[in-house]
Amino acid sequence: MKDLMPEISPLRPPSEVMRLARMGTMMPTRLSFLRVLVRRLCTENATVTRTVWDMNAAGYGRAVYSIDLGGHTYSLVAISNDLPSDQRSDRVIATAWDAAFVLYDGVPTALEIDRIAANAPKQEAGRFNPRDLVLSRANKSLRMWTATVDALRSGGQPEPAMIRDIGYLMRTTAVYGNGKFGIADRYLIADRPGLDGPFAAEMLTVYMIRHFTLDLVQHVGGARLDPNLARHLGVGNATGLGMAPFLVNHPVLLNNWMLARETAFARVCAIDSLSPDSQAQIAKLGARAAWHLAEWHVPAPDHDAILRALETEWADFRPKLDALGGPHPIEAVWQAAKDSSMPLQELLFALLLEPFPDLLDGLAECMGDPFGPLAVPFSGISALRAAIETDWDWALTQDFTQNENCRRFWYVSAAKLEPRLGDRFLEPGAELETPLDIARRVVALYADLPDGDGPVSTFLAQHPDHVLAVQRVAILARYPYADIRDNLIAATCRPIDMLRCKLSFFGATKFDPKSDLWTRITLAQGAPLGDELTLENDDWWLPVMAQ
Amino acid sequence: MTHSWTEVQSLAIRAARGADVPAAQASNFGNMLTRHLADGRDEAPLSEALKTQGAIVDLALRVEKVIEAASISSAPVSLSEDAPYLCALLVSWFNSLPCRTQVQLSGNTMTVTLSLSEPNARARPARITLSAEFYAQMHDLAANTYVPDSEASRMGGAGAEQMGLD
Repeated sequence: MKDLMPEISPLRPPSEVMRLARMGTMMPTRLSFLRVLVRRLCTENATVTRTVWDMNAAGYGRAVYSIDLGGHTYSLVAISNDLPSDQRSDRVIATAWDAAFVLYDGVPTALEIDRIAANAPKQEAGRFNPRDLVLSRANKSLRMWTATVDALRSGGQPEPAMIRDIGYLMRTTAVYGNGKFGIADRYLIADRPGLDGPFAAEMLTVYMIRHFTLDLVQHVGGARLDPNLARHLGVGNATGLGMAPFLVNHPVLLNNWMLARETAFARVCAIDSLSPDSQAQIAKLGARAAWHLAEWHVPAPDHDAILRALETEWADFRPKLDALGGPHPIEAVWQAAKDSSMPLQELLFALLLEPFPDLLDGLAECMGDPFGPLAVPFSGISALRAAIETDWDWALTQDFTQNENCRRFWYVSAAKLEPRLGDRFLEPGAELETPLDIARRVVALYADLPDGDGPVSTFLAQHPDHVLAVQRVAILARYPYADIRDNLIAATCRPIDMLRCKLSFFGATKFDPKSDLWTRITLAQGAPLGDELTLENDDWWLPVMAQ
Repeated sequence: MTHSWTEVQSLAIRAARGADVPAAQASNFGNMLTRHLADGRDEAPLSEALKTQGAIVDLALRVEKVIEAASISSAPVSLSEDAPYLCALLVSWFNSLPCRTQVQLSGNTMTVTLSLSEPNARARPARITLSAEFYAQMHDLAANTYVPDSEASRMGGAGAEQMGLD
């Protein structure tokens, strides 16, 4: 019988992949959730249709858009408000926004639109029901918005350079799914074609918000945007600490995301030879990556310096992408990058996945976690000890009696439940720490393990505080990419690296870090517009301005 | 009032944490509480467990011992519990595990069969109903886990040093 499984090279080990320094350089791939969603929309030749448009001349009012996906109709209800400048903030503790959104299951009646219009602008203080699938809000980029409106009103078009530098008209500051504030739990829609992947409903919302922002600016500006410019306007997003704990609190999901990505790369590395078309495509993507880097500038000098160094390094490396005619060409070019910087390696990694949909796209179906951890209990203390020594060796080298190794603590503030990060030795509240200190807990568990063997439950009866650590060791033994292999409470820990990892899985580009705690990004930049959803237009990895 | 599964689960986990239950057991309690209510069972045992020092940790340990036994042998495990409220919670706790579970209850004795490698396929409802009193009890306990706001604390949140909004 013919073996239909693709050839596969060894996967990169978790000890290499699950380090924050590397996770903090990850790039979007064709397995990123927004890419998967848009691919699905293109496959179905979906079309966004506007069913309600009740906006005044200044662009305040309500709109509804609908789209068919996988046999279901979903609608974005958008509420646009006149927001006083002094209330505009991207922080979680903000209480008002330029626009609020709900992704609705079906087509809402006028009564349902009224209900959403009364609640969505309140966001966390509103109340929602299971027909509401996603809740979001966004603020305008005032520079981009004003410049675009002014240009359209004067009969022109906004400056491409400004679109290149900003990349969006509005940025979301939260996109809530999975049961928050009464909206539908994810399991209610998880079996639906097109929404079955992680964050698919959220990505559909983002995609439709982008469509709304383009419509709104053209309404206020009174003229059409050039589609080549419109296509390069995505949706911004400001993301902070709330996203970081997700990766720690969903270990199986993290494992499945990383495993799919690493499996994809292992399949690509196993390719014997490349057709001339594939070689040309890789060279073309290499050129696009160079162009993208040249267009990617950020205000923070330290982060911009990283980008400029990558731009130079990529220019030096790129000629290697023009010589892929030999055997095992992907593996060869990957080996050629083994002494390159992590940012270059992760850029190359993402690029090399792009030309091989037949090998990889099916892996997107393996990135969910419908069941939760099915970890096998340890047969005894000896097995537990051995697992720690094997999988947590990096943690055992950490000295948590040193202040710098446990300086930070994660917590939830009473102020609108905003996630925050404190200094254990300077600020109150460490006793209310959110348990993201997994490495410290595993080290403490290891220190308390008795000599010899015996049932783990007998040990835990005496040490109930170690249950979490035992669970995490058991999960990692079964799901090798489930835990970040770095100390998340060290003074040197940079939450921005966790954000970058998660956002790259969303499909974010143009990471624009504002500190170690938060970043702005762009989503859907370069994606086909609402009336362009065909597979030939699904070629927007690392978008660049059309020339 | 009705709530989503996620809302109830998250609140229950926070409430247990606020009742000084260690993190893992609090998380498992949240899973159990949601399953318990989704199955149409009484809130009272849940409320009682949150009020009783050590009850949740003890329940978690008893479940852990059954899981441990199931990993060694596929034979059913029997256990008994005299307190009716704890007996009800044990049943829900087993039913909330990620693996497939069968629980047979006879008086104060239950027989548990776990299939550790097979996922739990129990259906979950669109909505869960909580009484105002029980919601308030959990809400008050959850509040114990939040750090009071302060100027210094506000600087520890993302965007505190916010640059221009462009």
